[in-house]
Amino acid sequence: FGPCRVEGVVLSELWEAFWAAKSTVQNQDDITSVRLLKPQILQDVSDAESCYLVHSLLKFYLNTVFKNYHSKIAKFKTLKSFSSLANNFLVIASKLQPSKDKDMLSISESAHRRFMLFCRAFKQMDTEAALVKAFGEVDILLTWMQKFYQL
Amino acid sequence: ARTTEDTARLLQYVRFQSRNFENILTWGSGPDSTPDTVYSVEYKRYGEKEWLAKAGCQRTTQKYCNLTMETGNLTELYYAQVTAVSPGRKHDSKKTDRFSSLQHTTIKPPDVTCIPKVRSIQMLIHPTFTPIRSEDGHQLTLEEIFRDLFYHLELRVNHTYQMHLEGKQREYEFLGLTPDTEFLGAITILAPMWSKESAPYMCRVKTLPDRTW
Repeated sequence: FGPCRVEGVVLSELWEAFWAAKSTVQNQDDITSVRLLKPQILQDVSDAESCYLVHSLLKFYLNTVFKNYHSKIAKFKTLKSFSSLANNFLVIASKLQPSKDKDMLSISESAHRRFMLFCRAFKQMDTEAALVKAFGEVDILLTWMQKFYQL
Repeated sequence: ARTTEDTARLLQYVRFQSRNFENILTWGSGPDSTPDTVYSVEYKRYGEKEWLAKAGCQRTTQKYCNLTMETGNLTELYYAQVTAVSPGRKHDSKKTDRFSSLQHTTIKPPDVTCIPKVRSIQMLIHPTFTPIRSEDGHQLTLEEIFRDLFYHLELRVNHTYQMHLEGKQREYEFLGLTPDTEFLGAITILAPMWSKESAPYMCRVKTLPDRTW
């Protein structure tokens, strides 16, 4: 992710974890007219900006989505997928070290504005519905993260 | 309260079938449908409110509809919906799962030309163009879409011995073969990041006889 390097991530593992739960989770989301990770949030993100944005998004998923979604897992039988995703997100987030240099301020602020678009959309929804929708949009997040993946 | 129209089981298995980004919506008739049941298709982007009618798939009796052009943006996700109407005001409506062609498309076998020589077989893999267009309008190949795409080539020499070649280039040659002998080639496309693998293209080829004295 630009200046931030994270090694040892096996993206196909993340995909397989999500695909195992995709149908179950996305079919719980009846609000097809709302998308949290809107195109304008993830489009044209520079390498430098990507580190800040992915760090914010992964932290949000760990601290808000996965943490509160936990109660639904037994009902939806998606524990294996959930754990694999959560663990991988934790590893990636912990390895990301977004720079705190002053000359990166404008870039980090731009990333923050994008992240706030996501947060606002999340908070505008009923919490339960937002949790399900956010989990169902992990594929959008992975597709975007994959662009920064170096072979 | 009974609506003016009765809901009935006129539809099942409403889903996208996607191969090399050719996205076809298909469905099956339900237990209550009759030969004169007609179907209408709508689609939309995930996150948008409005459903759009697909011209050419309105009040049709066919059970498929080509939505390739309508679902061609790789960063978008889509839904499609079929509404069935049967005589006697019976109707039914079902929508697909959330669809992403990047995730769902399967890769067809490559198009390959196998050229036999006396002691070798050359294999030329032709580029696979997709219906997806780049911002400047040119048709994208699978290689341009899947950055990690590579080819795996196998040549079966006999029941126990195969030769393997692998790489991102499109020209390969199996060397050191016996003249005037038949071989079976199998060429596969792989895109591991998306866990995609095509079925093999098979070619049966015989090396040329050695006429040198």
